[in-house]
Order: sequence, then structure tokens, then C-alpha cells
Amino acid sequence: MKKQISLVLAGMMAMGMLSACDGNSGGTSGEATTETSDGAVSLTFSWWGNQVRNERTQAALDLYSEQNPGVTFDAQFAEYNDYWNKLATASAGNALPDIVQMDYSYLEQYASNGLLVDLTPYIENGTIKTDNVDQTILDSGKSGDGIYALCNGINAPAMFYNKTLLDENGITIKDNMTMDEFLDVCREVYEKTGYKTNLAYGSDAYIDYYCRAYDEIVYESDSLGVSESTLDAFYSLYEDGIKEGWLIDPSVFAEVTIGSVEQDPLVYNSSPDTASWCFLAYTNQYAATKSAAPEGMEIGITTWPSPDPTKSDYLKPSQFFAISSDSANPDEAAKVLDFITNSVECNNILLAERGVPINSSVSDAISENLTEEDREVITFIDEVVTPNCSTISPPAPTAASEVYNLNDLLIEQVCYGQITAADAAKQMLEEGNPMMAG
Amino acid sequence: MKNNSIRKTLEKESAAGIVCTLPFTLGILLFILVPMGISLYYSLCDYNILSPPTFVGLDNYVEMFSDETFFKAIGVTFFYALISVPLRLVFALIVAMLLLRTTRITGFYRAAYYLPSIIGGSVAVSILWRRMFAVDGVVNNLLGLIGIDTRFAWLGDTRTAIWTLILLAVWQFGSSMLIFLSSLKQIPTTLYEAARVDGASRPYQFFHITLPLLTPTIFFNLVMQMIQGFLAFTQSYIITQGKPMNSTLFYTVYMYKQSFEFKHTGYGAALAWVMLVIVGIITWILFATKRFWVYEDGV
Repeated sequence: MKKQISLVLAGMMAMGMLSACDGNSGGTSGEATTETSDGAVSLTFSWWGNQVRNERTQAALDLYSEQNPGVTFDAQFAEYNDYWNKLATASAGNALPDIVQMDYSYLEQYASNGLLVDLTPYIENGTIKTDNVDQTILDSGKSGDGIYALCNGINAPAMFYNKTLLDENGITIKDNMTMDEFLDVCREVYEKTGYKTNLAYGSDAYIDYYCRAYDEIVYESDSLGVSESTLDAFYSLYEDGIKEGWLIDPSVFAEVTIGSVEQDPLVYNSSPDTASWCFLAYTNQYAATKSAAPEGMEIGITTWPSPDPTKSDYLKPSQFFAISSDSANPDEAAKVLDFITNSVECNNILLAERGVPINSSVSDAISENLTEEDREVITFIDEVVTPNCSTISPPAPTAASEVYNLNDLLIEQVCYGQITAADAAKQMLEEGNPMMAG
Repeated sequence: MKNNSIRKTLEKESAAGIVCTLPFTLGILLFILVPMGISLYYSLCDYNILSPPTFVGLDNYVEMFSDETFFKAIGVTFFYALISVPLRLVFALIVAMLLLRTTRITGFYRAAYYLPSIIGGSVAVSILWRRMFAVDGVVNNLLGLIGIDTRFAWLGDTRTAIWTLILLAVWQFGSSMLIFLSSLKQIPTTLYEAARVDGASRPYQFFHITLPLLTPTIFFNLVMQMIQGFLAFTQSYIITQGKPMNSTLFYTVYMYKQSFEFKHTGYGAALAWVMLVIVGIITWILFATKRFWVYEDGV
């Protein structure tokens, strides 16, 4: 009997670990600033990104440490999806990194919950100089009355494609393609080469992009601002794609990390039936996509397809840097933000990888050092997107992240032939609306 | 005076015991009981991680009844645990029997077969597994070698994805195997000798001597592995992320998603407590059946 009791206890303990999991998993995430006795400061600095960004950011931080002896950095990077889980956990343990990279869609959540430091005082006292920064760009980091995050570049949705493949087969791509023109290309590519199309699988932004063409905003504050007929048309793209064969099989994505540039079917897979000729991404992923592409594959850049490209397309603050309220050294962190925003040396290392620098004198100064692809991106943003775009949708509320998951699941079910596009549209509204309201 | 009384207290016999167990006691308190308490509190709260929790009573528990994904995850987890655990035990027993005879090389084999269990739960093996079962992975290539030319997506098909995870679990039979091995060795050879004299065949010996005497070990393994099976996380999280269509969505992965991705941390904590109850019941059932099949008189 005694043996049994101890066995039960051992079992209970093992289970205890599970429930303990929930309250206690913040340990390995960020740690707040530590200041040692000799005045040295260590700042944690976190971002999501890709190989190119990781290397350049680390080099820029090393430069700061070199110029400011005593300041060291603990750099933490992750893939986009993991990054947000990690950050949320860290916030629960009051252990947010000193400097966090922020996204437009998460800014509101973090700022309104008091997790970020208001940068206005630092801007006013000149710690962060903003003389050469456009006011609207500065305002994009606003929440309520304060500026909680500093934009670090301008970005736009962009579709990358396998130019080599299309050139060989005499298929040309024009900018601002309508949906019908895009679908024709998908079919033609599939017929001629067997290459399939990845229509933004796993993206939470594309559904919004598509619906904007009908003046509908998917992630409105308390509900889904989208009609059933628009959703039906959206999910029909996937239904038809599978039926006609040109849409990439969703099983391909069971094998990769979704959201990773390096593992996108455009560059990762080599055989036509699992590879895609296009990749719906953002302009600041251009350099990483190019460097991930296999040798001999030329990558082209154009806009995302939409029933009405001008209504759908937008410029967006590519991302922000913010100082967390858990930081013990916000003053030093503010100096780092100033360095990133205004130092030519620093931006000569970062080279517009996150987006075109917001300080106009800096972006002029580094322009001659920019790589070929950075220049292409700037031209693309200036000449293709800017004249043909509308204002970005308002930032999505916290509840939206559950709807992203629902949308992924519905697309998956449509692709596997489990439900029709009409069912998916209905379910999206039936299940998504309570999520947004709750 | 003061020093003396401290000394006296320390010299008591119980003091030594308390001091020696202190690391463990503190560990349990700080890293298990306190977090469990906090988790229990969160499970009664509307908590989104970013802002302070607000008490809502049993709302989170009530919500589960109307949550289809919750039931889906329960189903998947039961399927996984109830199939992978018995398979793993059978496999472990077979290998243990094979490795029972001591020759010069068995030491190497025992270590080799134990290795997967050490590294089994790790992220690296999960990533390896994902590559192995990829469309252009090792498995399909091997099938190609024996003439079955296929580009089947093992991880992308709702019928096979869960089986790749079960296979991974079965492959990690090492720790059960070692436990089996040690108890197999404790069965007195005299029993087998006597049976042989009486003309009992090998299978007869196995079913009437080996198996009955092993039942306590089988029971121990079953309980421990079952608990582990229900709590499996890494495999599903890394290899399939619950895809395709939630067919490999383990309960713990769903809990993680609710807690950190959807920011329903209160609901996630409630899920954890429901799992605790479920595993508790399963363990209790196993103990209840014990007297029907476990032979405990020993040898």
C-alpha cells in the first residue's frame, strides 16, 4: 500500500509540472536590465527576423558597445510567431527585454496595457533627436497621447516571384495585377512548368488586403467588418485553386516553419509540385529572400494581387523599436534608439534591411552604400506602391490573434476539401465574431 | 545565551532531517506548489497576460463545454496515449528479452537502444523526424529503393500525421526497456529449469512464468508512460504544430496556444487543471484494475 501511495504521489508530481507550466514559464525569456557595480550596463535587445537581419543587428549593437564602453547587449531573436509568445510570457514575469522590436498590429496591445515607456520626454529633451523625421511617421507609433514606439522604416506588401522560371517560359508579370490577371498567371505557370502557387498560406494580412478591395476591414474593433459574400469569394480562390491544381498543397506546409523566409516554398523546395513561383511577403524581406534563393534563381518584385489593387495596397511602418516599462535603464535604452535612428555609421551596417530609415539625412547618407536590392525596394515603394495605395487599416485588437488561427484552419479545411468556400465564409462569421467581441 | 539555543535546536535529530531535505522542500514549494496555486487562481480569472487578471469564477471551466477544439484535442491526446503507450511497452519488452542474454556486445546494444529515449523528447529529434517524413525525405526515398515510388506527404495527411508521432513515441522505448531488463534478470532461473524438466515449451514458459512475474513492472511502466503520454508536447508542437486540421493537436499544445498565442491565459490555466483531473482519473482507473492482473507476491 505504501508503495502505491508513493507511486500516486510521484504521478501527481509529474502532473504538477504541467499545471505549474502555466504560471512559471517566463524564466527563460527576457531578463530586465542588470547594472553591475562598476557602472556597466547590460541591455537586452530583442527582435524577430531572418538571418540577414540577425547578423546586421548584432554588428550594429557591437558598434554601439565599442563607442560606449560599459554598455553591453544581450541580443535575443526569434521567428515572428515565437517572438510574440515569448514576449507575452516575459511581460507576465515583468521581465520584458529593455528594447523590444514592435509590430504595428501588436503596438496597441502593449502600449494600452502600460508595458511600454512613453518616449515623448526623450524626444522633447533631445535624447532621441527627431529633427529630420517626418511627423506622420513619428505619429505612427502613437497610442493615446504618447509616442510609445519609434518607427524604424517604411514597408509595403510585396510579392516576390521566380523571375528566372517565368522568363524562360515567356510569362511576364506586371505591377498592380488584378485578381483575374493573377489567376491567369497561376494557371499559365502551372500548365507550362508544373510550378504551383502559394497564395499567402498562413498569412493573417492577406485576407485583410483582399477584403479592403471591397472597402471592408476584417479586424474591426469588436467584430469582423466583412460580408459573407466577400469571404465566400476569398475562400473560393483556395477552393478553385485546389480543384484546378495550381494551388500548392497545404501538406507542404506541414513540413516547414511557416513565416520563415528561408523555408518558404519559393526558395526552399526544389521540385515543382511542392515549390511555389511566388511568395506574398513584405518589401523588407526582399534581401533575405534573395539571399535564401538557390543559385541561379533571379527574384522579381511586384505587388500583391487584389480585385482592386489601389484600394488594397498600403504603406506601413515596417516595425518599431520600443522601450519596455520593465527596463531599469530607460535612459540608456533611449540613447540606443537615438543611435539606431540617427547614426549614419549604424545605418551603414543595418542598410535599410528593416525598411528605409526614417531620418531623411541618414537615408540620403547611406544611399550610396545600399545594395542593389535595397535600391530596388526604394524604387518599388516610391514608384509602384506610393502612387497606388490607400491608408492602412487600423491596428487589430488583441482578440484578432484567435481569428488569425481560425482563418488558417478554414483555409486548411477548404484546401483539404472538407468544407466548401461558402461553409468557410459562414463559419468565419459565426465563430470569428464572438472571438472579436469576447 | 542566544547562540546556545540555536545550537541546541540544530543539534536535535529532527533538525538534521529538516536541513537535509530543505533543498527538495524549497524546490517543491517554490517551483511546484506556488506556481500550481497561481495557476489555480488564474484558471478562475479572465487573464490576458498583458494586463492584471480579473476574477470571473468558473467561467473558464464552463466555456470548455462549448469549445469544439477542446474536445478535438482531448480526442487526439487519448488516441495518441492509448495507442503509443501499449505499443511502446510491447516493443520495450521484446527488445529487453532479446538483450537479456549477456554476451560481450550486449552492453553496446543496450546503450544503443536506450539512446533514443535520452534524446527523444528533444527539439533536434523532432526536427529530424519532420525531415524524415517530408515529401522528399528519407522515408519516401527508402520506399523508392524497394520499388514503391511515392511522394506521399506523411505529415500533411490527416490519416498518417498522428501515426508519425506515435512511431516517434514507440521508438523511444529505452527507459521502459531498461526497467524491464532489470526485472527480467530478477526472475530466478530455477523456475525456468523446473518448467523445462516438466517439458514446458518456450512460449508456455513466457506466458506462465515471465509475464506473471513481470506484471508489477509492467504496471509501473504503464502508469508512468501513460502520464507522460498525456503530457506530450514537443513532438506535436515542433513536428506538426497540430496540423493538418488539428488532427495532431495535443492537449498541451492547445493549452499553450490558448495561453500564449490567443492570450486566453486564464482559460489555458483552466485547461491545465482539467488535464490534471483527467490524468488523475486515468491513474486511479489503472490502480483500480491492479488487483485483477498484477501479481504482487514477488519471488
